[in-house]
Amino acid sequence: MTTENITLGADLHGGGPAGEKQAHISQATLAMLLFLGSEAMLFASFFTAYFMVRFNVAGNVWPPINPATGHKYVLPVAVTGVNTLFLVSSSFTLWWGEYRLQHGGDRKSLERGLLVTMGLGLTFLVIQLNEYAHLGFSPRDQAFGSTFYSLTGLHGLHVIVGLTLLTICFVRSRRRHEFTAERASMLWATSLYWHFVDVVWVILFFLVYLL
Amino acid sequence: MATHAPTHAHTDHGPGHHAGTKPLGYWWKRAFVATVVAVILALGVTFVVRWAWGFHPLWNAQVYWTMIFIFAGIGFIIGIGCFDWWWNYLRGRRVGFEDHSMHGATSWKDYLRPNTDHKVIGIQYTVLTFISFVIAGLYAEGVRAQLAQPGEQFVNAQTYNGLFSMHATIMIFGFIIPVFSGLANFVLPLMIGAKDMAFPRLNALSFWLLVVAAALLIFAPAFGAFSAGWTAYPPLALQGTTGTTMFEIAIQFAGASTIATAVNFMVTIVTMRAPGMTVWRMPLLVWANATTSALVVFGTPFIAGSQLMSLLDRVMGTNFFNAANGGDVVMYQHVFWFYSHPAVYIMMLPGFGIVSEVIATFSRKPIFGYRAIAFSTVAIAILGFGVWAHHMFVSGMASWIRIPMMMTTVVIAVPTGIKIFSWLGTMWGGKLHLKTPMLFAMGFIVTFTIGGLSGVYLGTLPTDIAFHSTYFIVAHIHYVLFGGSVMTIFAGTYYWFPKMTGRMYNETLGKWHFWLTFVGMNLTFFPMHWLGTQGMPRRVADYAPRFANVNLFISIASLLMVAGTVVFFYNMIYSWAKGAKAPWNPWRGRTLEWMVSSPPSLFNFDVIPQVVGGPYQYGIAGARHAIVFAGPELGGGELTETDKRLVLIVADQAVASPALIQDIRERNAEGYWRFTYVVPSTPDDHRAAERRLQTALAVLAESDIDANGTVIDAPPMQAIDKVMREENVHEIMLTTFPLGSSAWLDQDLVDRVRKATGIGVTHVTILPSEARATVASESVEKVAIIANYGIDDAGLAELVKTRADEKPLSAVVLCPLSLEGPATSPEAEAIRTEASGRTARLIARLQEAGIQTRGEIIDGSVTHAIKVARTAHHANTVLLATRPGDRIEITDEIIAAAGQVSIEQVTTDGQTSTASGASEGR
Repeated sequence: MTTENITLGADLHGGGPAGEKQAHISQATLAMLLFLGSEAMLFASFFTAYFMVRFNVAGNVWPPINPATGHKYVLPVAVTGVNTLFLVSSSFTLWWGEYRLQHGGDRKSLERGLLVTMGLGLTFLVIQLNEYAHLGFSPRDQAFGSTFYSLTGLHGLHVIVGLTLLTICFVRSRRRHEFTAERASMLWATSLYWHFVDVVWVILFFLVYLL
Repeated sequence: MATHAPTHAHTDHGPGHHAGTKPLGYWWKRAFVATVVAVILALGVTFVVRWAWGFHPLWNAQVYWTMIFIFAGIGFIIGIGCFDWWWNYLRGRRVGFEDHSMHGATSWKDYLRPNTDHKVIGIQYTVLTFISFVIAGLYAEGVRAQLAQPGEQFVNAQTYNGLFSMHATIMIFGFIIPVFSGLANFVLPLMIGAKDMAFPRLNALSFWLLVVAAALLIFAPAFGAFSAGWTAYPPLALQGTTGTTMFEIAIQFAGASTIATAVNFMVTIVTMRAPGMTVWRMPLLVWANATTSALVVFGTPFIAGSQLMSLLDRVMGTNFFNAANGGDVVMYQHVFWFYSHPAVYIMMLPGFGIVSEVIATFSRKPIFGYRAIAFSTVAIAILGFGVWAHHMFVSGMASWIRIPMMMTTVVIAVPTGIKIFSWLGTMWGGKLHLKTPMLFAMGFIVTFTIGGLSGVYLGTLPTDIAFHSTYFIVAHIHYVLFGGSVMTIFAGTYYWFPKMTGRMYNETLGKWHFWLTFVGMNLTFFPMHWLGTQGMPRRVADYAPRFANVNLFISIASLLMVAGTVVFFYNMIYSWAKGAKAPWNPWRGRTLEWMVSSPPSLFNFDVIPQVVGGPYQYGIAGARHAIVFAGPELGGGELTETDKRLVLIVADQAVASPALIQDIRERNAEGYWRFTYVVPSTPDDHRAAERRLQTALAVLAESDIDANGTVIDAPPMQAIDKVMREENVHEIMLTTFPLGSSAWLDQDLVDRVRKATGIGVTHVTILPSEARATVASESVEKVAIIANYGIDDAGLAELVKTRADEKPLSAVVLCPLSLEGPATSPEAEAIRTEASGRTARLIARLQEAGIQTRGEIIDGSVTHAIKVARTAHHANTVLLATRPGDRIEITDEIIAAAGQVSIEQVTTDGQTSTASGASEGR
């Protein structure tokens, strides 16, 4: 093979051409950052819908009046606030696992960190689904319901994708002992994604539940 | 000089490593099964969910269709094999990152399955999108048929809405956006000196996502055409049926495809540029694609979001756009145009990149304002995100947005103007070569400028309010999308056709295509400006009778474009199959893709090239863009030089003589030379001269010698002067017959050329007997013509000439004589003399037509003649010429004698040509 300079194919370990134009960022990380830019814009389109519905149409009454009961729709801020803490803490457990891998190559701790992160993510999902079941309104109830469910639902889908990526990392680590302190592009990309999902949720919680 | 060698050493893996071992049927059977399973799964899952949650009604057709299309699309992609590698990865299997099992193409079948080679994907994209182009073009002709006269002609108003909606949707999402991905997919990694894209498997997935999207769009009319226009505004779009569902899902697939491609391009450009390629040495196409990719990455999610909301509203009953329940209709337009305005730059910036390449190459001048063009590209992209609401001046949006949006819109004219003037500045004072790509690029400047100017009208608030719903918009969009994007697509397709296919297209047909398209498009779309200002509404199946004449004119004019497109496809398909072999660098471009063979080898470069300068330094002595190195199996070292020195070969009869070609081969081995033939000719001899030239070029291309040439109907001095004005010639090789038999030497041509040009002239003397000798070469087909009495027929010579026009050939004429009785009798002698006269006449006739020919009389039967043709003359093909009434049949004996050689039986007309004198007919 004459590919000393460029590693060909889906080079998940970064690299790029040797010589004076050495790229300082791994391909997987850069790709994930761009993809997350795209994801951020997808959320932005639904936030646009939310804000236009809220400030252009609804006016001062928000959440709007539920025609069935005559009262405003109610969002369970306290439960979701606790749930937010679950998701935020999962970012730290993931960080801990990565930290242990990078400092001393402790793959065992990484696997533990991944397991705890997945557990917290799953807990978040279950609580969120439970919240859906007890909200008392559906996506068909007013534009409020549509935007609320589309934003939180879209985020929920991202949590599921994130859990899948974490599972893949866990499987690769367990079965192929793949990640080392220097080479773990898949892991860095996954962790970027997971932190992004967290940050989006914090913004969403602030804008939709609190504001 | 290295040859077109495979760059990939096969020491560390066995056969079957590349391109897989499974037959094509395996993948498509799998895809079919997976699609069917996915459809069943979609039905089952939907039913179970609706039943479990108690949704009513249990059977809501649109919900089931939505799930079916999503599942079927994903199922197909899984089945065809795009996810195989990832599936093994996520199961924790051992996978090789250097897994090339889906890489490269050895036959056409490899184009019909997932392939990770960027060159294969580029061609897959281009072919698929041109199919979409034809389908969408037919819809446009449907629209023009309907509008040829006022009143309902062929279809009712509802179907008409479907026609123009499908036309725009397929053109935009199925052709213009992805075809640029296709061309860039092929060219961009080559241009930056990379072996492939950063993520080849993702690249393959992108293409197959597009296949699903295109299929959904193309088959949508069968399910009730989508008829709310390509903009799909609610509430109108909310009334749609299954066809609309397919459109909305197709947008999700197409969006995912373009985002994946854009991420791939960005990462490739950032991390995989060859050493020395700083951002200011990147070709402008790379700049354009980097910028476009940023637009795609940050813009496309908005159209995905808008169509998702639309789908949810229609299928699930949500209330995004339902004003009765607190929804906001104008919100759709904001979200939609926040993507779709940047999308017009997604459809245009790569075209700007193509035009920058083409104009610099064919003007033979450094591009004017390289950094200005690069910066203006970025400026357009950034400004492009701040102008979306100029599409909504009459939509009833908040009125305070209008003036700011008008101003940003008009400001975009500035970077666009910078580009236009930079291209004009590049052409100013250049040596323009009006090849087809250049014609399209120049035509683009004209039509796009008109489109840009009408765009200023439409970006300006007062005029837009007047023109918004009229044909003025239709005129504008077609001047920028057809006159803009499509012209650049054609320019790029012709420009890189030799690189992509390894064959040259037909220049004459290319020019026909250009003029038909250019004239047709202006005649079609220019009158629409007038119709618009007079108040003809767009998107309506009927119109006031006073517009009848202009509309009829437009409908007829549009047929010119149809004719041009037919010429284009004929040219592409025919040239791809049978065109002349393309040299490495037919346009003498400077960028890296021209420094590798046509088509490039499996991994493009043996060794990563070193970039040493800017990409457009045409005409600057000693300037180089990059150095390409040969692989270790060829001993390393520099492969090509950017600035090969040019030898001008002047020759007439001896163009394709083996002696001259041997001289050229020797010269080529000595250094970095390229060769241009100039063949002074006369109009009578023009075709013959071209045939000789074709033969010579085919032979040289086979030896990987960089050569081209022209036939000029002028005396030698004038012909040389014409070429010298366009090219920087380093040396002239003047080929003549020896003194005494050469008219050129009688005119003292060698000395005159030396004095007139002031550069070195090498005089090559070729004997007349050598001039017409047959050159032995793989790329010249050896045709044995076996004929007896038919040999003198004018039709036979014409037939051979026609064949020679298709593909260079050398002929050997064999005249079998089966004489009975004593061979030395006077009668036999007379017959033999007559036969040799006939044969000599055919040989002379073919040689005059520029075909290398020899011949002999064979004492023996046809079978014997075939054996001689095969063994002594190594013929590839035998032409068995008979007259009507001759009783020669292709017997088993003949077939056995022929062996591997193919036999064609031709029947000549039986009319002896006038030159042959008395007829010998029996």
